[in-house]
Amino acid sequence: MNWEKLSKYFLALSVLFIGFSSCGNHSADVDDIDDIDDFDELTSLVEDTVHTKKVKKIFYNVPSPIEMANLMQKAGVEYRKDILNPISNKDNYTLIADIALNLGVYGADLSYTRMFDQIQQSVAYLSAIRTLSDALGIPQEAGSSTISKMEDNMDNRDSLLQIITDTYSSADIYLKENDRGNTATLIIVGGWVEALYIATQVSGDNKLIYERIAEQKYALNNLIELIKTYNDESLVEILPKLENLKDVFDGIEITYTRGEVKTDKKTKSTIIESKAEINISKEQINTITEKIEKIRKEIVN
Amino acid sequence: MKKVLYSLLFLSFMVGAPMQSQAQCKSFTKKTCLPHLEPYIYNGQLNSAVLSEGDVAELLLTFYGGQDYRINICSHETLGKIQFQVYDTDKNLLFDNTKNDLTNSWDFKSNSTQQLIVRVIVPKEKNRSEMVQSGCVSILVGFKE
Repeated sequence: MNWEKLSKYFLALSVLFIGFSSCGNHSADVDDIDDIDDFDELTSLVEDTVHTKKVKKIFYNVPSPIEMANLMQKAGVEYRKDILNPISNKDNYTLIADIALNLGVYGADLSYTRMFDQIQQSVAYLSAIRTLSDALGIPQEAGSSTISKMEDNMDNRDSLLQIITDTYSSADIYLKENDRGNTATLIIVGGWVEALYIATQVSGDNKLIYERIAEQKYALNNLIELIKTYNDESLVEILPKLENLKDVFDGIEITYTRGEVKTDKKTKSTIIESKAEINISKEQINTITEKIEKIRKEIVN
Repeated sequence: MKKVLYSLLFLSFMVGAPMQSQAQCKSFTKKTCLPHLEPYIYNGQLNSAVLSEGDVAELLLTFYGGQDYRINICSHETLGKIQFQVYDTDKNLLFDNTKNDLTNSWDFKSNSTQQLIVRVIVPKEKNRSEMVQSGCVSILVGFKE
């Protein structure tokens, strides 16, 4: 066997592999900087800092469904079981994208049922989440004992919160560890869509909820930027639908007035005394409700 | 022949090492960093990367009015003390840890909902060796119910 020739071929293959593996990155790395609209503004922040270069990595986060459920409950909305995605639908999801999206949907539903102390419903949703997590190949490290943990902690809302947080954070970390950030993003998309859908369905004439809906303008912008960092067929498919929704949010006026930043020296906690004036019409709420219902329907059905 | 084999070994390392580092970064975040958020509830989204001296990373996130938050910057000790700043979208500086004993955590509440930019800067240490240090940096966000 001619080892020298074989080694040269392998060397050539390795060089090719390095070239291909540097393509198709999953987040806003240096190569993607040109896609970020406010790049010039970002770099201007660091021009006066001699030790820094341009921004190497940009992360886009959206509020978690747990946080959104918490805000809705504080705003005084009612509990409505009928608007949630039926657990029986879980058997309809066979494609990876549908499973991931609805894992996010059920996460939002679980966050909602938990906020209203609907324990039996919460256990049922957690079971559905476990099924979908298995289908995505996410290990049960937080899962195997999760259902029994919930049953043991039925009266403990804080423990339920910890279980939900552990389940989703473990899934997010596992997927990103294994270069499946696109799947993690689909889960986030499903969760955000469902949370907004729930908010629009229970808003009634609640002006505080209207404001929370209007504030999703920022989260939607981040979600769209997050999606753009992935070259994934399912994410590419959902992007124009979210951009269509964004057109409505772009028409919502939010006037922000900067305030003082005060830190309590004892507690070391800070308050930003800013003010925001939100101008959203009933018509805009109705349009958002229609559009998010349509997007949500395509995800859950 | 030996040269070719050594080249192959070197190339294999160059390909494999970054992949392994990114995975280790996420494991590092999970095991070492997440506990720093307690008693705040983790927002569930992992923001970690392997950064080198002089690198900058940013996180964009909406923070709801009236809600208590913690931003925690967690990094591998090889990078030294990480600098971080928080800006609003009008580029007003709201917090700079270099003016707060290089703390790696900031607890705050905003009266109104707003989008903020968390900027992390890995400093270049002048007295270090010629080798550029790299390590895991995570930006974690938690909230209180």
